[in-house]
Amino acid sequence: MAHQVTSKDIPTNGEHLEISKIAKLQFISGIVGGVGLIFSIIYLWFGGGVEDSSTSEHESSVAHGSYAFSWLFAVFFILTIALGGCFWTFLHNLSNSGWGTSVRRMMENLGFVFPFLFIFCIPFLFPQVQQYLWEWMTSYRDVVGDSSNAKEALLHDKNPHNHLLAAKVFYLNPTFWLARFFTYFIGLGFFIWLVRKFSIAQDTETKPSTKNLFAARKHSSWSMIVFGVTLTFLALDLVMALDFSWFSTMFGVYIFAGSALNSMAVLILTGIFLQRAGYLKNVVTQEHYHIMGKLCFAFTVFWAYVSFSQFFLIWYANITEETRYFLLRNTENWNLVSLSLVFMHFALPFLALLRSDVKKKPKFMVGLCCYILFMHAVDVYHMVIPERGPSVELVVNHAPQLWIGGSWVGDILALITTVAGFLFFYLRNLTSAALYPHRDPRILESANLHN
Amino acid sequence: MSTKVRRVYGYLAEFKNASQLYKAAEKVRDAGFKKWDCYSPYPIHGLDDAMGIKRSILPYFVFIGGLTGFLTAITLAYTTQVGLYPTIVQGKPANIFTTAAFFPVMFELTILFSGFTVFFGLLALMGLPRWNHPIFASKQFSRVTDDKFFIAIEARDSKFSAEATKALLGEIGGANIELVEDDSE
Repeated sequence: MAHQVTSKDIPTNGEHLEISKIAKLQFISGIVGGVGLIFSIIYLWFGGGVEDSSTSEHESSVAHGSYAFSWLFAVFFILTIALGGCFWTFLHNLSNSGWGTSVRRMMENLGFVFPFLFIFCIPFLFPQVQQYLWEWMTSYRDVVGDSSNAKEALLHDKNPHNHLLAAKVFYLNPTFWLARFFTYFIGLGFFIWLVRKFSIAQDTETKPSTKNLFAARKHSSWSMIVFGVTLTFLALDLVMALDFSWFSTMFGVYIFAGSALNSMAVLILTGIFLQRAGYLKNVVTQEHYHIMGKLCFAFTVFWAYVSFSQFFLIWYANITEETRYFLLRNTENWNLVSLSLVFMHFALPFLALLRSDVKKKPKFMVGLCCYILFMHAVDVYHMVIPERGPSVELVVNHAPQLWIGGSWVGDILALITTVAGFLFFYLRNLTSAALYPHRDPRILESANLHN
Repeated sequence: MSTKVRRVYGYLAEFKNASQLYKAAEKVRDAGFKKWDCYSPYPIHGLDDAMGIKRSILPYFVFIGGLTGFLTAITLAYTTQVGLYPTIVQGKPANIFTTAAFFPVMFELTILFSGFTVFFGLLALMGLPRWNHPIFASKQFSRVTDDKFFIAIEARDSKFSAEATKALLGEIGGANIELVEDDSE
């Protein structure tokens, strides 16, 4: 058996990540994220303009519309990971777990990235960007205008497609949308800040006690509800609303499965890199990686279960409004992306994570976690990007195009920008407090974990 | 009283606490015994390592069981729904693309067969159910459900010897060493 960790192995003031060690990385990611964000906002805002049917204007609007979708894809990718961090934090506190005390601070740091991500969502507040992404907003603005009764106006519009919006206008209207959008970030942002604050306060209490620990557990209860509501409706407002006629009751769970899986992959990567840099040596062992690997495995299966259920029920019931999502994603080459999710997002990680000994090998897990994150990007791509072709209406030789040539450049640039920004805030959180709650009464239980 | 010959089951030694049992188990393991066991009122963490127990072969059985269930489901659904009597529902195809509709059946049968293999495989590997165990012949053994810890080394083990094994058990801290004889008919 390995050496028994005692309180002598835990530094009195906790382990702190040396800023000098990551200063360079943080600086670069901050510059990349910041510059990318500023250019994206300028491009999306000033370049967008209002759509015009004349040829040259339309070409420019195709490019802007295309980039608006790239931006949504990239931002939603990092949002799911930060949301997953919130989930693991609340779950760890709520379930009164002992095993993960030494990795809990990483969960809190990951979750606390969420409120900062609002700045990447700023472009979504401009009508210049909204007009490409969310068709219902354009319809609402065109049809309702200054009319006092939105429902009546939509119901008596000459375009029958808008009658469907009349039934949903209580939820899909710009005022409520804006209110919701701010509530998500303020609400969940506040709760993850609060729970993390309790945890950090315990590190520096003059009279060590469990007061903060119990407070964190207590407040994690309704935080979990806030998390569930935020994740579900954020997914609805940003992604499901890309096509307002489509609906799926599984969609929130589907996003949740992906975010829980991928934030766990990020946590494993963080743990491994911190250990390589010489931290967490005494408190995190291969047993922790084993448990986190098991959670990754569980959520790989859960993701497959939920995404298949969504597909299966829609495919079986064959209702016009519902099938559109999958029809679009199985047209032309999108079919290959859909199929790749089955085999590469589910089957391959499932088989790779099946054995217990591979989950304990950091080298293997680094590769696998990066792969899982890559497949998650493909998953989000598959949710967002197929809507781009029909939305920006590029027509070549009288044929509407599903795929816009060269648009992948924008996708990659947007992804690099947001991931760099995400990294910047994550590193900021990691350096702002001790790396693990060294005064938590169960830190030794966690350090001596055996499973 | 009959004069029939009783079979020797093995030696039983009592230990005071879990840590003694743990240390003794390591020594018995190092002495090279294979057919022996530890008995304790509650599960002891890491005792399987101390006893040198290898990984069970049950997972391989379960894999084969699950695979059987999976293949059964495919065969059952495919031959009946596509081969023998194609059922056309809502204009859906009756060919390889129908497979999506069979997923729940495939999933459930995989789980069911794996579950059965776990249950029956575990019973078989443990040699259960059985009416009696020779070790119940020992009077002191009943305290294993209360406050005592035991190690029993079976006479079937190739390293077993009437004197040396007894001496070994005494050496490693065993008390009340008893030769247990099988009293079942």
